[in-house]
Amino acid sequence: MSMAKQLPLQFVFRANQTFQDFFSGVNSAVVNHLQQCVAGNGEAFIFLWGQTGLGKSHLLHACCHEAQQRKLSCFYFDFNLAQAADSSVHLFNDLETFELVCLDNVEAIAGHADWEQALFNFFNQHRDLGHKLIVSSRTAPKELPVQLPDLKTRLNWGLSLKIQTPDDEGKTAALIYKARRMGLEISPQAGRFLLNRASRDMNSLWGLLDRLDQASLSAQRKLTIPFLKQILDERPG
Amino acid sequence: MSSIWSNCLAKLENEISSSDFSTWIRPLQAVETEGRIRLLAPNRFVLDWVKEHHFAKIEETIHQFADGALILDLEIGSKKPEAPAALKVAQQAETKKQQPNFLNKAFTFDNFVEGKSNQLARAASTQVAENIGKAYNPLLIYGSSGLGKTHLMHAIGNAVLQKNPSASIVYLHSEKFVQDMVKALQQNQINSFKEYYRGLDVLLIDDIQFFAGKERSQEEFFHTFNTLLEKKHQVVLTCDKYPKEIDGLEDRLKSRFGWGLPVSIEPPDMETRAAILMKKADMAHVELPQEVAFFIAKRIPSNVRDLEGALRRVIANAQFTGQKITVEFTKEALHDLISLQDKLVNIDNIQKTVAEYYKIRIADLSSKNRRQSITRPRQIAMSLARELTSHSLPEIGDAFGGRDHTTVINACKRISELKESDVKVAEDYANLLRSLSH
Repeated sequence: MSMAKQLPLQFVFRANQTFQDFFSGVNSAVVNHLQQCVAGNGEAFIFLWGQTGLGKSHLLHACCHEAQQRKLSCFYFDFNLAQAADSSVHLFNDLETFELVCLDNVEAIAGHADWEQALFNFFNQHRDLGHKLIVSSRTAPKELPVQLPDLKTRLNWGLSLKIQTPDDEGKTAALIYKARRMGLEISPQAGRFLLNRASRDMNSLWGLLDRLDQASLSAQRKLTIPFLKQILDERPG
Repeated sequence: MSSIWSNCLAKLENEISSSDFSTWIRPLQAVETEGRIRLLAPNRFVLDWVKEHHFAKIEETIHQFADGALILDLEIGSKKPEAPAALKVAQQAETKKQQPNFLNKAFTFDNFVEGKSNQLARAASTQVAENIGKAYNPLLIYGSSGLGKTHLMHAIGNAVLQKNPSASIVYLHSEKFVQDMVKALQQNQINSFKEYYRGLDVLLIDDIQFFAGKERSQEEFFHTFNTLLEKKHQVVLTCDKYPKEIDGLEDRLKSRFGWGLPVSIEPPDMETRAAILMKKADMAHVELPQEVAFFIAKRIPSNVRDLEGALRRVIANAQFTGQKITVEFTKEALHDLISLQDKLVNIDNIQKTVAEYYKIRIADLSSKNRRQSITRPRQIAMSLARELTSHSLPEIGDAFGGRDHTTVINACKRISELKESDVKVAEDYANLLRSLSH
């Protein structure tokens, strides 16, 4: 009988996306360079690249959050939205006035002439004003299928930083850290158990964390190994 | 930041997705007066989006924090001083000499590294800076992206200003000229626009290839250009190719652009690339050993922006880890960049590119054929393989039909001599190097 089961609230828990919420691990240099950039002590243009699920968007939001704390004007845009029907290159109008601009998933507009041209124009004007720019992509700037050569050389110009995939130990630590920020306790043993049993790519692990959160809340149980075994044996959804 | 708005932001941050919050809410600037809050959006697009998707939520949240009635307005604007558009400069023509010229002070002749590939362009630029409107007018610098055209342009502007601080100079990208003109037309201020641009002592316009297909802008630029030249005021232009090759540019502009002196910039050779790296490191107050400069120069053969990007990475890693910059350290710091370069340029695609360029078969490059129409491309391909890949000489010889490594050495030596004595070989080599490195 599931009468005792408490229904969880109907929203997906969203951990805050600040630098404090990010487990740096192997990426501590990346985090440091981004923080320096926002603080105005580092490079004015950073190109952040690497696989999905490693936290690029999180870091871009963290930069915006940090900029806001420093009273800097900032703007974030995810290029995955660029192809939406109601999106338009006019989004870039006058954006050069922002002291920090973060552009996520630039690969989504590579090869799209209008967007490439708009980004190129924005890049020049924003740079001429000495403002800061952080761009993220799944691939290195050199590998992006950008058609406009002038944009391509500019994307290669900045400090390009690759976000690294942590090893299993790093993944376990990241999982425990993120869980703690969400108010969940996962012991090191339980963390290792999850890494040995679940899909180990970071996207799957974050998805799993949401499932654990829902299950723990719903059953009012701590995340012990027997309980984890039970959750993993259930089909998700 | 106003207190009501900061409370509102803190609440909204936890109620809507990070992406929506950072894109649409965080950039809004609040101006709070008694009984009223004005939210400023950077442009029409953001304004419309916020109005449609988030306004109700914002309104509801603001009213939770406000005491009593409050009027909430959403409009386009900015609290920070806006980018000083040339148009605004025009409206204040009497004070134009105090207006921003968009020159980057960091680009000077002193820190421009000269090599064979750019010495003519540098010499012409120096001449122009010393005799504005008299030496070469217009001066047109053309070449691929990332080779230093913009640097020279700023250097001219900075040198002129140093000599004559009251000179009115503006650097701008051709797209900015187009945007300003469109704004001027929309706001019925085209006369101020014309007056402003036609009254400059030196006009520096970057990347004129972007005028292609924009007829109204070309028309306006044509008249601005003529007026400045008639008054013997200086015009400097850059372009990614020789203007006659630009599609969508009016013939009368193409011909006028060629009136003064068109000079090209080619990709830098390895020695110049290394010298550029040393100079850039020096400017960043970083000691870069010569062998490291040559290591990077050999691995990044394309353009100056790529070189700078690589150097930035090395310096940033060294500063973060506190380690000394050595070849080993650099290899590690640029690990992914180098493996990418190796992936992009290998002997196979060098052979393919060379064969296509000379319209011969790839198999010819590995054959025993000794006709010059085959041996020359073969020698060029071997030289490129030596310059662009990290394969050993025996490996390169092997890839070209099992030839001995001494054949590779002789081929490289021969091409190096021919690059000095035969313009066609030098040009072919530069073209192939460029197409393989981009």
